[in-house]
Amino acid sequence: MKIRNKILLWIVLGVAILCPWQITQAVAAADPAAVPAAVPTISIDKTTLDNGGVITVTGTAPAGKSVYLEVWASDHSVRSSRFDSDKDKQTGKIPYIFYITKDMPAYYTICVPKDMQLKIDAIKKEGKKWSYASLLRDLGAEAAYSVPAAAKIDRYQASLMASVVGSRGEILPAMDDKENRQRSMQLVKARFQSIDKLVNAAVDVRPDGSFTADIKIRHGLAPGKYTIVAVVDKDSRSMPAVFENTISFPTVYMENAGTSMNLIYPFVLSLVVAIFGVLMGAGGGFIMNPLLLTLFPVLPHTIVAGTVTPTVLFSQGSGIYNYSKIQFISWKLGAGIGCAMLLGAFIGPKLTELITLDQFKFAFGWILLILAGLMFWQTTPGYMEKNKKEQAILKEFKKRAEASAAGK
Amino acid sequence: MKVEFWGQEFQVNMVVGCIGGFLIAIMSSMFGFGGGPFMVPLMTVFLRLPMYLVVGSSLLAIFFSTTVSSLRHYQFGNFDLVFFLAMFPAALIGGYIGPQIAKRVSPLAVKRIACVGLGLLALNLLGVY
Repeated sequence: MKIRNKILLWIVLGVAILCPWQITQAVAAADPAAVPAAVPTISIDKTTLDNGGVITVTGTAPAGKSVYLEVWASDHSVRSSRFDSDKDKQTGKIPYIFYITKDMPAYYTICVPKDMQLKIDAIKKEGKKWSYASLLRDLGAEAAYSVPAAAKIDRYQASLMASVVGSRGEILPAMDDKENRQRSMQLVKARFQSIDKLVNAAVDVRPDGSFTADIKIRHGLAPGKYTIVAVVDKDSRSMPAVFENTISFPTVYMENAGTSMNLIYPFVLSLVVAIFGVLMGAGGGFIMNPLLLTLFPVLPHTIVAGTVTPTVLFSQGSGIYNYSKIQFISWKLGAGIGCAMLLGAFIGPKLTELITLDQFKFAFGWILLILAGLMFWQTTPGYMEKNKKEQAILKEFKKRAEASAAGK
Repeated sequence: MKVEFWGQEFQVNMVVGCIGGFLIAIMSSMFGFGGGPFMVPLMTVFLRLPMYLVVGSSLLAIFFSTTVSSLRHYQFGNFDLVFFLAMFPAALIGGYIGPQIAKRVSPLAVKRIACVGLGLLALNLLGVY
């Protein structure tokens, strides 16, 4: 009995020695702290979230000032790219420069005072041509914008020749901090797309300078640590408050896509689409891509296109194998046209990067309309009649091929 | 180019075939689909080849483009392994179940549904609704 007590004591001591960093961290986050004159303070009501939720931030700031909260995922970053083909207003030249960064936080938002909702709504009405830089300027939130500004951005001079050989082009020298900051704002827009995701009128500032804000963290965001900093102006930023977002299987974080997703959704979707694809005689890609983009707007179109493509490889391969067994493939014809397609396929993925999500959707929309037209043509009586004959011949030849393969 | 297939000889206009294939490959690799529904009409209508020659050969041609396009997407970092692993087994199972269901449904009905479905998806992407 005594021995057991002793052991327990030691365990408690050991835990007490190992734990303090956790405890102090929690204390730092939860302590509203004394109020130094100019620097805002901040505290949060909980330190963990389970796949999203609401976190309440309270704090103090100098009275009479607007308070902004910069919130970002500090554990995971994603890629963001943008192709600048807008005419320069001063020189009239089109730059054709491709910007890409790997350091974009997987989640990024700025919470602004609640009374700015009207301004946000006004900017939203302007449509898709909004600019993140002027949004920040209009809301006075420029000082709060810091994390993506520090992302290292590479830029490439794209050229027609480079595109043909499928390269990104010549890498240009790094930008200075000011330009990096400017360009990073465009990449923020390219990555997060919507105003709603980037700014939230959530901060309730009282006349004495104390403030509260409910920050809603959506489902399907990156797991790991998130950081919140309260900002009043350039030189007065609060200490960071950190909380953790956890996800559990079957919800899994997808590193390249930068979102977490319940794996069951893409599985079921892919299953249904694959079956239907077989029935209508088309690969699943035609339906899978647009469906994924419509149902999961968080997924970047480059990731969708790049990940759906290889899923059909196996079924194509097994199809070829089955046909080749009965020698039902003209290798000369297939490989001949295949070589031309090879070149096209070398260039295509490069172009995916260069277009925005809206352009992607627009072009895909028209492709699908053409495909729907093709399908319609295949249901017309004239085609059906012809197809019946063709199918009969096809069957006849296949039978012969199978017989000869079996005879060998 | 002359192609011999099961005792018959066909004259194939490779210029049309290659240009068509090239354009279809750019489009399909850019948007991440196979391209079969475009490839088959190209070969039957524009190259005037019979269906029984086209089915296997078009698949081979598309396989070329899908392989390269997958590699290129991977190279540009557009490939997400976890996402892929969620979809790939389902695509395999679907490819196995599909043909068995296909025997029991009328191809005309499927094509009509596909027609409407594709139209709706297209209008959705174009932002009509």
